[in-house]
Amino acid sequence: MSRNSSSQTKNTVYVALFAAMIAAMGLLPPITVGIIPVPITLQTLGVMLAGALLGPWRGAMSSLVVVVLAIAGLPLLSGGRGGLGVLLGPTGGYLVGWVFGSLVIGLLFKYWVLRRTGNATRLLAGLASVIIGGIGVIYLCGVPWTAAVTGLDFGTSLIGSAAFLPGDLFKAVVTTLVALTVHRSYRGLMS
Amino acid sequence: MISANNSSYLARIKPGWKFGALLVLSIALYLITSWIVLLALFIASAGLLLSARVDPKQLRLPLISITVILGIVFVLLGIQTDWLNALRSVLRLLTMCLLAYSVSLTTKFEAMLELFQQVASPIRFVGGNPAQIALAFSMTIRFIPELKKVYVEVREAQHARGLANNPLAVTVPLVIRSLKIAEETAEALDARGYDSDPAPHQR
Repeated sequence: MSRNSSSQTKNTVYVALFAAMIAAMGLLPPITVGIIPVPITLQTLGVMLAGALLGPWRGAMSSLVVVVLAIAGLPLLSGGRGGLGVLLGPTGGYLVGWVFGSLVIGLLFKYWVLRRTGNATRLLAGLASVIIGGIGVIYLCGVPWTAAVTGLDFGTSLIGSAAFLPGDLFKAVVTTLVALTVHRSYRGLMS
Repeated sequence: MISANNSSYLARIKPGWKFGALLVLSIALYLITSWIVLLALFIASAGLLLSARVDPKQLRLPLISITVILGIVFVLLGIQTDWLNALRSVLRLLTMCLLAYSVSLTTKFEAMLELFQQVASPIRFVGGNPAQIALAFSMTIRFIPELKKVYVEVREAQHARGLANNPLAVTVPLVIRSLKIAEETAEALDARGYDSDPAPHQR
């Protein structure tokens, strides 16, 4: 991290702004998209975007700020949830997963995706990164947590989360396209 | 807001103690296997929450959502293992949630945030800056309504173009405008000489 206070302030503002975006996306009503049966909330779109646009540390910090504010009592999570109960409840692991998800997406974007040159390889690398971080890592935290907290076996917990998979895949595609478009016009975003 | 201006005896206990007690109790709950003890603890935690005279309206929504989830868990666990085991698991989780809400609803949001900042303050030893954390929290809260407004504006503009349901046409302008707001805010902070580094003599 730079010791320059001006760039440190800028980093903090970016973190706060993306945290606010994640929060604002949770406050919007869920949308239904074409063939996907479960209405999807946009909140994890914000989590994925934070990592893909801000890079690992600032992205993870954005997610962490939202999680901390929600646990402290602001009803920022989709459906107006918040408070200590959400962390201790069966879905608390997904919340913890957001932080690591943004971190992993940020790492992959910074050191892999943005170093690709071809348009098609960039797109594929981007999509793979968002799926690994935004779905893989988040489920990896959420599924065992649900299993451990409720006593359900791992398989049932995994099947339960599968209902959200189509929506999450949709968000991963949107994140990749948005992130690559924005990086094209804001080149220095991660430097 | 899942936090409150509560004036009961629980509200007078320091947040740090309540938080610590919650952590210890939630670990202890997993070590208890007798369903009778768990039932007694569940009733006790419900009593605790009621004795704090919290506003029932605040509890309605979270309790409905946790009941739905736990209902599913109960049935699945009952089929997979046995019903006594399902009862134990659900009682444990309900107790934990009631205890968590007892803490949340009797602690002011500011006090809770202050506690988290105290917990995070050792990061200054690894080069972090606690003042930046405080700034990030307050700015985030300040930016939420603004970003919601930007989202509605972008959506309306794209609606006029027939693109309201195109996620790319909505998200790209939202992100670009957010980045502009971020740059303007950072410049404004610099122009006003905001310096979050602690003064040299305070280090």
